[in-house]
Amino acid sequence: MSKFIATVLAATMLVPVAARAEGEIEVLHHWVSQSEVDALNVIRKELEAKGFTWKDSAVGGMSGANAQQALRSRLTAGNPPGAMQFLGWEGVQWAEQGVVRDLNDLAKTGGWREALAPQLLPFVTSGDAFIAAPINMHRQNWVWANKKIFDDAGIAVPKSWAELIAAGKTLQEKGIVPVAMGDEPWQIGIIFDALLSDVNGPEFYQKTAIDLDPAALGSAEMVKVFDTLREVRGLVDNNFVGRDWAVATGMVINGEAAMQFMGDWAKGEFLAKGLKPNQDFYCFATPGQVTSFQYLIDSFGMFTVQDENVQNAQTALAETIMDPKVQKGFNLIKGSIPARSDVSVDDFDDCAKLGYQERAAAIEKGSMQGAMTHGFAAKPEFASVFSDVAAQFFVGNMSSEDAVKMLVSGIDNAR
Amino acid sequence: MSASTRMSSRLAAWLPRIVVAPSLLVVIVTVYLFILWTGLISVTSSKFVPTYDFVGLEQYVRLWATPRWHTAVANLFIFSALFLALSTGLGLLMAILLDQNIRAEGALRAIYLYPMALSFIVTGTAWKWIMNPGLGIQRVVNDLGWTDFRFDWITDPQMAIYTVVVAGVWQSSGFAMAIFLAGLRGIDNSVIKAAQIEGATLPLIYRQIIIPMLRPAMLSVIVLLSYIAIKSFDLVLALTNGGPGTATELPSTFMFSATFRRNQMGVGAASAVMMLMTVAAIIIPYLYSELREKNNG
Repeated sequence: MSKFIATVLAATMLVPVAARAEGEIEVLHHWVSQSEVDALNVIRKELEAKGFTWKDSAVGGMSGANAQQALRSRLTAGNPPGAMQFLGWEGVQWAEQGVVRDLNDLAKTGGWREALAPQLLPFVTSGDAFIAAPINMHRQNWVWANKKIFDDAGIAVPKSWAELIAAGKTLQEKGIVPVAMGDEPWQIGIIFDALLSDVNGPEFYQKTAIDLDPAALGSAEMVKVFDTLREVRGLVDNNFVGRDWAVATGMVINGEAAMQFMGDWAKGEFLAKGLKPNQDFYCFATPGQVTSFQYLIDSFGMFTVQDENVQNAQTALAETIMDPKVQKGFNLIKGSIPARSDVSVDDFDDCAKLGYQERAAAIEKGSMQGAMTHGFAAKPEFASVFSDVAAQFFVGNMSSEDAVKMLVSGIDNAR
Repeated sequence: MSASTRMSSRLAAWLPRIVVAPSLLVVIVTVYLFILWTGLISVTSSKFVPTYDFVGLEQYVRLWATPRWHTAVANLFIFSALFLALSTGLGLLMAILLDQNIRAEGALRAIYLYPMALSFIVTGTAWKWIMNPGLGIQRVVNDLGWTDFRFDWITDPQMAIYTVVVAGVWQSSGFAMAIFLAGLRGIDNSVIKAAQIEGATLPLIYRQIIIPMLRPAMLSVIVLLSYIAIKSFDLVLALTNGGPGTATELPSTFMFSATFRRNQMGVGAASAVMMLMTVAAIIIPYLYSELREKNNG
């Protein structure tokens, strides 16, 4: 990458940062909703108990894109925040610019590498450096279902996409919307990601969404993925345009719709209504021969700063985030599961426990993979091609073969 | 001439320049320097952060090979052309009808003009619901008994851009009407009387005399509406958010997502330069003709 930028950034950061209280750390993040702030307060309180001050810098909106923009201008102005929430490849890309602090010493003493699933390491390390402390893990490929609708129609939890689609058609005949969703490309992408792995196995997901292998991208298996996606489109009502994901979750909750494909942040909507997993609603993984666990993590990276007080606060923050107790407290509120694989989830709800078990199984079977739609597989310039094609295919009348052609040429164009 | 008066006359000559200098500097830096910088980035391989190498027109080739960009460009032309034509046409028609000495003209005028007071975000959100087949017009007509009625443009990628046109026209035609109405009021009645004495029919009078006399008003309307058309991407964001899929993408939304969300800063810069060139292709002939007229006159 550009040496020039790295030098400029490094040079500007040498400017002494005056007027910072002792041991104060500014944390830039994009969590603004109530449950997110409550979860963050778990970290904050623990840090403050250690005698450091947390300066909150929340920049909400655009799924973190606004916070990213804020970070860019802060870095170029030579005034980086002490810590920043990273999503996807962001941390690695900043590390390549040489502006992120290496936490390797802490990682070694804390045994972080051993505590994390090896699949996470590409997103929290860069070369030999350990660049970010992951706090939580969401799973993207969940299905949320209204149990009463399933029971009334005599439908069991589907074991394959064929069963799921057949169940959907039965429900449709009864006048129930089988699948609630909106037309936003990322909502469509969640289904597409799941199909890549469920229809053709996790190796196919690896070859396409991660390795971008041209042969696999243009293969007959890919046509099959789009064919299945077309069948799922048939299960969605026509009013899906402009529907927010939480509105779609609401449709499942109040019985208008039977299922939603969504990450485990949807669980909060059910729990907030006082509903119980497996009593009022089902949570299950998207069905496949090999059950996949498509994860996304939130992690916090520290920027290189000269001020020793801030450095100390960074160390304390990183240790706090990796503290099993904090990971537990945070994730109980956030609805995700701890990023550390060694934190017990006994106090969590049934869905989180199921996710935890399936994660352990998926790590063994090689089906724990990063969720492309949320930036944890191919780099954004490629992932966005997948999402463009899937979204255009989903809302229009394109044939599966044309979609595959468009995907192959789009990926080539972005290389 | 004494030294002091020479000083003051020199100061008088320099004063305007000194006063203008800071704002000029700000404009040069914040506008023209960044235009140059964007142009520079568009010929580099920049992705996540700017890199300063030279790759020629590679990013432009990449841009024009992106189907989403083609959609965006086509949408801009469809939207601007229809929006301008319909807003101007409807505005003129409403102005002529209102000009017929009808009752409650003041109230009607206010009613037609009021949408202009809303922001595009409000208009977009309201029309999103009005055009949603499950909530809006289609639902109402279906409930009234006409069950086959379909109005689901907003869910159809081929038709969705026209819903943006409808919402834009709804908002802006009253504004065009107000300007035309003012123009109509400024036309001398005696001209019309004279034409009537000559035996001209009313449609003929409008076609041959009144509308040509509205030329200045027409020019203002077109200039103001073009400006609204170009900045209207907030309407798209609120109404369809670029969807369904990517069907209502505009060049401005494309540029933003390429640069800030997709790690394609070079492609984003290339698209920005393309937009600049499109605007320049319209503005430069206009400036040229304006300046030439001044030189001749």
